Amino acid sequence: MLTNNIKLAWHFYKQEYHHAHQRLLRWTQGVLLLFIVTLSQSSESIQNYLDKNLQGLLGADAVLSQQQTLSSAQFSKVSSLTNNVVMTQQIKATLTHNGQWQQAKIKAVDKQYPLQGELLTSRKLQGPSQQTLGGPALGEIWLDARLFASLSLNIGDQLLVANSLFLVSRVLQHEPDRLMEGHSVDMRAMINILDMKALGFSSDLINYRYLIAASTKQINSLIRWQQKNLPAAQIQHKQGDHPLALFWQRTENFIGLASIILFFMAAIAIEQLTQVHMKKDQYFTAICMSLGASSFAGIQVSCFKWIINLVLLLPVVILLSTGFHWLIVSWLNSAFVDLLWQWNYRPILKSIGAVVVLFAVFHTPVWFSLHGCAVTKLFNGENKGLSHWFTKISSIFVLSGVVITYSDNGLLTLMMVVAITTTIVLMILMSWITLTLGEKFTQNFSGLVPFTLFMMKQRIVSKSTQIIGVGLCTFLLLFTLMLLKDLGSTMASYQRQHDGNVMVSQATVPQLAFIENLAKQQGVTIRQAKPYMHAKLVAVNKQALAEFSQKPSESLATFARAIRLHWNESMPENNKLVDGHYWQGKEQPDSQNWQQISVEQEVMTDLGLVIGDSLTFVIDQQSFTFAISASHAFKPGAGSITFWVQMPTAALTHIQAPRYSMASLELAPQQWRLLAELWQKFPTLRMISLTEMTAIFDSILAMITQLISGFSFIIISLTCVVILASINALESKEKKKNSIIMSFGFSRSTCFRLNVIEWLVTASIAAMGAIVGTYLAGLLIYQSQFSLTYKADFIWLIATLFIILLLVTALGVYASRNNLRSSVRQLMSET
Amino acid sequence: MSSYIELKNISQSFQLNESTVTLFNDLNLSIFQGESYAITGPSGAGKSSLLMLISGLEKPTAGQVAYVKAEQRKTLDFLRADIGFIFQQFHLLPELTALNNVALPLKLRGDKQAINKALVWLDKVGLSQRKNHKPSELSGGEQQRVAIARALVFEPNFIFADEPTGNLDQKSATEIADILFACCQENNSGLVVVTHSAVLAQRAQHTFLLADGSLMDCSMAEAHNKQESNEMFRV
Repeated sequence: MLTNNIKLAWHFYKQEYHHAHQRLLRWTQGVLLLFIVTLSQSSESIQNYLDKNLQGLLGADAVLSQQQTLSSAQFSKVSSLTNNVVMTQQIKATLTHNGQWQQAKIKAVDKQYPLQGELLTSRKLQGPSQQTLGGPALGEIWLDARLFASLSLNIGDQLLVANSLFLVSRVLQHEPDRLMEGHSVDMRAMINILDMKALGFSSDLINYRYLIAASTKQINSLIRWQQKNLPAAQIQHKQGDHPLALFWQRTENFIGLASIILFFMAAIAIEQLTQVHMKKDQYFTAICMSLGASSFAGIQVSCFKWIINLVLLLPVVILLSTGFHWLIVSWLNSAFVDLLWQWNYRPILKSIGAVVVLFAVFHTPVWFSLHGCAVTKLFNGENKGLSHWFTKISSIFVLSGVVITYSDNGLLTLMMVVAITTTIVLMILMSWITLTLGEKFTQNFSGLVPFTLFMMKQRIVSKSTQIIGVGLCTFLLLFTLMLLKDLGSTMASYQRQHDGNVMVSQATVPQLAFIENLAKQQGVTIRQAKPYMHAKLVAVNKQALAEFSQKPSESLATFARAIRLHWNESMPENNKLVDGHYWQGKEQPDSQNWQQISVEQEVMTDLGLVIGDSLTFVIDQQSFTFAISASHAFKPGAGSITFWVQMPTAALTHIQAPRYSMASLELAPQQWRLLAELWQKFPTLRMISLTEMTAIFDSILAMITQLISGFSFIIISLTCVVILASINALESKEKKKNSIIMSFGFSRSTCFRLNVIEWLVTASIAAMGAIVGTYLAGLLIYQSQFSLTYKADFIWLIATLFIILLLVTALGVYASRNNLRSSVRQLMSET
Repeated sequence: MSSYIELKNISQSFQLNESTVTLFNDLNLSIFQGESYAITGPSGAGKSSLLMLISGLEKPTAGQVAYVKAEQRKTLDFLRADIGFIFQQFHLLPELTALNNVALPLKLRGDKQAINKALVWLDKVGLSQRKNHKPSELSGGEQQRVAIARALVFEPNFIFADEPTGNLDQKSATEIADILFACCQENNSGLVVVTHSAVLAQRAQHTFLLADGSLMDCSMAEAHNKQESNEMFRV
């Protein structure tokens, strides 16, 4: 019996292979599977690469890092808990040579370095690498190739760092512990640890990193000790989340969020196709049942047919995804050197398994409709009632599951879902209002337009589904393209308009005083200057941060290190109050009531914080607890320097810690030479010029552009599939309608004109809904997620409206050309 | 002025697996407005094809066809605006109410009185009480009544009905036949019915039998038979 049913399913599958509904289902499933499998393959390759690097190239089993040096008691304790400890120091400083300058990360090491792995250097810029034991000798400096090139250096040259001369003796090729420092694009230099002392940098600017050799057991005891005694310090270890791995995980989660959009579209396409599949399978089952078989046999045949379709699709998907995987690995090779293409069986099986289960849930209504149904009902193809609602509910259930699984940034996901839901509601309302009013007002006019509006109004349920399908796809496509366009133009122009052309990210009090004085003398405009101190969040409501929130998010990742804590007397001009009560001017909290804090809205959402929660920060080795009294959000138009966490100025009388400032300056072309003077005076001043900023920005943008372009291509493919699916779902009805119209004495060209008008109305409503949805998503997401003012370009929007109208109508009319191949004879032959 | 459709020496054939199948040859037929015609014959004889040729929706492989209206000879393309169809399967649009189904052809022609006229026709076929019901809420007989009203509401000169009672029980079939012939007569429409039902065929003024590629006028044969039997009776 089973063999017979499989044979029957195979026969049925072959018969339907070239039918539009099967072809569209294959496309939808194929595109989505291809995307998910390629994504999981690529991410697995990167994870493998990172793991391999972590095993051999970490340079230590664990790294303890903090802004202060360990006391001798603490150092002894760490040494007793582990096998070996080597100290390194790092500072960001500017190196100058022959009037040229370049900011770099300088690492100071001793003779014991490296603890594990290989330190590779060379005698020439392009020379062969040699394994080197111990760091540079006193008075020597080793630089990486990029730094060499940017300062036009040669081996043997003298280099100036904070008024001390260093001999350039080697090219730094590879530091084994670099991966542990996280993903960084900083240029590198290495000096002897004793020289660092001689340079006399302020100790709070130095990052102290202790490389540790230890067993897993020892690492666990070290972590316990660190949590108790050094809560503000960070520990990275082989067993834990590597910063680069975390960076990749967040990128992956972002792509995951993007795939929600694809799942939405696939759901729409499959939902539309389900109607056709249901009808076909019901008819087949009815025939089987009328010949004495049970409805179970019908379900079995339908299931086998669905499985055969997937099994035959999978080799194609795997082959194509392998190709795409190879292309992605080649593309990523610039960022992840030595990243190799390889087969990853487990993620393929896992992702295929998950997606197949999702497809099965999408298809369940078809099987559900076959169960326990009478022959007559099946012949009539009744799909209303329970199974109809089951389709909708199962789609919502599956999509909710996907959203929850992939959500990285709670607020962003929520906003995307709100924008999608609003667009759907809007399109339903627009469909209803446009068609009702359109029909009402054109009742007294003759012609094809009133008739089309009348017909669409009469079939409002099926028409709305089609409009929502097309509109939602258009909205998602438009939003993606808008993001691509605006990320480049709006952001760049906005930065230049408000932030000047030089950004100082960290200036000490004397440094800022010097800059202010210099600015006064030279006529340089300081656009903004805002004070802050470093604070490390250690507990929320007296619960350790790691225990408080397990869910990875952008906010949590940032709180893993010290953040900038800003203070002010009232709400900054570029902030607005979202919730709670913000201290204002004369209402400054008194000395009894200074422990209040305002937290940025996105952070509140990500960490699930509410007004009244308490946050404990370690500031310069002292612990302070604040109560959240307000929540603020970025308000564009008054500069982009804003802080996640802010406290009242009154708190300063209680907190003794080094103070810094962020500032933005506007330099005229002839004033650029001042930068060299500034850096020579203050090598540790963290300052970035616009040219560097745009260089970094452009490289990020180029990567995002490629990512979004690839993503847009997949969305465009799925949009076409959704439009075709929605046409296919209504094909039989449309054919019948056209035949009936012809039976009233009208020609095929009348049907064609009706079809064009119907698609124009459909595309108009869908395009309007998509544009309003995009505008709304722009308003919601741009400001809160990218700190950008969303300025709707109405000319662009109107142009887009017409392009959508044209393309959707053209595709709709072209794809529904089959519907016009109807005739009165077909109506006669239906007996 | 009455109009009529003229078919002269028409033949119809089609290709099937590289061989030519001929449905009929040298067939002559005239259909006059205001008169009723029934075409009977075995399955596969080409009745529906003949109906398509008469209505001008398909072209014959040989012969001449014409539509004479107001004493002017035109091609059958001009007939298109003056015809209506009734089908065995009713073919109402399931999303529309009975009233909107009937109003459909008028709306398509931009008639501002579409709904009022549709109401009048629903009343004529006895369904004014069910104007707001959808096809799925109507019986087969009721659906066919709606289809008749829909075919006649725009007052076409000719109505073509393909097995209009084929899906109905005897009682409903009789009712539908009554309504169909009465409405066509009232409307002065020519009616061409293709049917297997001898009872329905007998109600037409002209009956034809299409078999073995030729069309036989049964009404003349019947009249001849009737006359012969009358003469015998007199003898």
